Amino acid sequence: MKKVININFQGRVIPIEESAYDILKQYVESLRRFFANEEGRDEIINDIEGRIAELFGESLKKGSTCITDEDVNHIIASMGRPEDFEDEEGKVQSQLGGEEKQSRTSYQYESANDAPRGRLYRDDNDKILGGVCGGLASYLRIDPTIVRLVFALISFAAGGGILLYILLWIILPSKPLSNTSTTKRLYRNPDEKVVAGVASGIASYFDIAIWVPRLIFALPLVTGILTSIVRKTFWFDDDFFPGFVFGSFGGTLFVVYVVLWAVIPEAKSASEKLEMRGEKVDLNTIKNTIQEDLEGFKSRAEKWGGEFKDKAQQFGHEFGQTVNQKTQQFSKEAGYVAHSGGNRLLRAIGIMFKAFFLFIAGVIAFALLVALLALMAAGIGVFPLKNFFLEGFWQNFLAWSTLLLFLGVPVIAFITWVIRRIMGVRSGNKYIGFTFAGLWVMGLISAGILAASIAQNFDARARDKQDYSIVQPSHGKLIVKVPESKVKVYGRFFKMDGILSMTDDSLFLNNVRLHLVKSTDSTFHVNAYKYSHGSDESNAVNNVKEINYGINQDDSVLLLDRGFSLQRGTKFRNQSVTVTIQVPVGKRIVITGSVNRRLNYFHINSRNGDWDFDDDWNNNWENWSSDVEYVMTAGGLERVKKEQVNEDENSDGSNTEKDAIEKYKKSKEELKKEYDKKQKEAEDLKKELEKPVDTTRYHYQKSVSYIENTDPAKFQGNGRKSNNEELDLSSEGPATLMIMQMI
Amino acid sequence: MEFCILSIIRQGEVYPSDLVERMKSANLHILEGTLYPLLTRLKNAGLLTYRWVESNSGPPRKYFVMTDKGLEFYSELERTWQELADAVHALTRPASDNSSDENPTQP
Repeated sequence: MKKVININFQGRVIPIEESAYDILKQYVESLRRFFANEEGRDEIINDIEGRIAELFGESLKKGSTCITDEDVNHIIASMGRPEDFEDEEGKVQSQLGGEEKQSRTSYQYESANDAPRGRLYRDDNDKILGGVCGGLASYLRIDPTIVRLVFALISFAAGGGILLYILLWIILPSKPLSNTSTTKRLYRNPDEKVVAGVASGIASYFDIAIWVPRLIFALPLVTGILTSIVRKTFWFDDDFFPGFVFGSFGGTLFVVYVVLWAVIPEAKSASEKLEMRGEKVDLNTIKNTIQEDLEGFKSRAEKWGGEFKDKAQQFGHEFGQTVNQKTQQFSKEAGYVAHSGGNRLLRAIGIMFKAFFLFIAGVIAFALLVALLALMAAGIGVFPLKNFFLEGFWQNFLAWSTLLLFLGVPVIAFITWVIRRIMGVRSGNKYIGFTFAGLWVMGLISAGILAASIAQNFDARARDKQDYSIVQPSHGKLIVKVPESKVKVYGRFFKMDGILSMTDDSLFLNNVRLHLVKSTDSTFHVNAYKYSHGSDESNAVNNVKEINYGINQDDSVLLLDRGFSLQRGTKFRNQSVTVTIQVPVGKRIVITGSVNRRLNYFHINSRNGDWDFDDDWNNNWENWSSDVEYVMTAGGLERVKKEQVNEDENSDGSNTEKDAIEKYKKSKEELKKEYDKKQKEAEDLKKELEKPVDTTRYHYQKSVSYIENTDPAKFQGNGRKSNNEELDLSSEGPATLMIMQMI
Repeated sequence: MEFCILSIIRQGEVYPSDLVERMKSANLHILEGTLYPLLTRLKNAGLLTYRWVESNSGPPRKYFVMTDKGLEFYSELERTWQELADAVHALTRPASDNSSDENPTQP
């Protein structure tokens, strides 16, 4: 009892037994594989199917109710299995002409001769340079790629490999060896690849799971990058990029991978793929040969015909022409070899380039990922601040969705992708991708809305002026300081302008700028401008009023608060304070280093009472230095006591300082030029002076010490020596006396 | 083999399974499976062309006809073959014995 199914075969409905259908399907599939590389594959298959359908029709016409196994097997026998095609071809050809048979058998004879190992040849069929490796491999019956690798390693290690290779090239005879080994060969697997299929090829060669070599290749890289990220995040290493490039790649398998990529051939054809997996290759070798035979039929027939004609005509005469032909052929071959060698070199260079670019692309991709991760980390870092940023439910909601979807989804997607690639899972459904993309787009939209609504909260800007009455300093000198605040600086996990520290319910900002201008009258004035943004005018004004910034005075010392705090409930709307100190002409001011250190922005505007705050704010920053006394002149602030800056560098500086005091009414530019010039001169002079003086002194001292050290020693030594001699003499004296007495 | 097929097709329109029969009758056994690829290849080379003929039992059949180019190629092939055969004959004439099984079929 068998199940009968109806199939639509070449436009006909054919009742067929299920098992027969299976056989038929297998047969057609084998044909399809057999003609995989054929030009008109589909047409051939179609023709054959048509014929089969016709035969089916005939047998149905005869009265049978359905197609049975027997029918199918019979048809297959008459059509021929792919394995039979080769034999058939050979048979027909042998029937057609004896000379073909002869050449065929002679070829087979030759290849049969090669099969037993025992002699070492250079392999003409499988070669990159001279076929040494190929010959060795077929002698040892291993994969030539491995031999090549060993040679390459020896060459890299000591250079001996090259010499050995050349020697073998010279010594060994060349012979086209047929490679009918059933051993596995190492190929790169183009079907399952992440970069170039090296790892998957290795996996199939050693019969291990595909992710094992991948992990081995990828692990040092990934760990290197991860550690550098961690280091970057927590210790703020500056050399981030070179760190992870050289730290993780220098000693890792990246180089190995590239070398393998260049050395291992890619399994392109079906037979190579089978070889790679170590499967039987009969069918495919047959296929290859039959195809070669058929394709080369015409040319071969003509060639053989011509050759036979020549031989027949010149039979008994001379073989000169054949020899000539042979030499021509040989030279052609040699040319081809040289050509192919060049091609290979080019290809190797190409691979190197490709590897390089892929590497760079990978690094960029990874950098993007890292950036995303960092953004996410920053998002989490900013998270405690959100109460100061966000208003209402919707903004909170948007913030969450932005964080999770816009930043989180790509990270998760990338990680899943990597894991899937490493595990060799082929994603069948596109829905994962669509889901990720959709979520990400949602995240993007919510990020946009969030940004817009937050921007709206910063829409309006308000300014408020607060005057501080200060006592005029007794010596006409004002010292500006910023005392240490009680609040500790919050960890510098992320940096954000102006935010100094925060606790759960208050945010401490140090968005404080210092601004020095010339006073309009003869007294010091201090005032502060408070700024804030807000969603509208009144909101902004309210925010301004929340700012509480204090300035204290202790005689000539002006103490500025380090910052101001926002209480819970007050939102962060980019509040800032600008302290303006008006310095009257002729009075002095000292800005201590603490100001520079502790205030967020420290800007000096020493120009003539510029009340326009949008003017270039920062123009004198480079020339400014802390802990230096400045004096306000009609032209602006001037430096006093230059030696503080120059420290003990030169004594010439004091001259310019005197000059400065005398001529401070001169125009600023002139003075500057002069000063710079003199300083340069002084430095040059000093350099010139230092060199010779130091060296001579050194030598002098050394020689002195030498003399001092050696002379007394010598002297002492001499003295001792003479003493010893005296002693010797004295001790000898009695002895001789005794001897003399004995005699 | 192509020579044989071409020579058969030259004689007129032909259907592959008929071709097999004709070859069989000439004591040349080939499988249909090898024939189809060959025909397709020859057709792609422009040596053959075909037309569809409705058949009463099964799908429409392809009947192959030779083109002018095919005819040209055929005559060339024939000439080559003739030269080859002559050469072999000339060579084997002195020996005269073993030439018989070398060329059993000469269409």
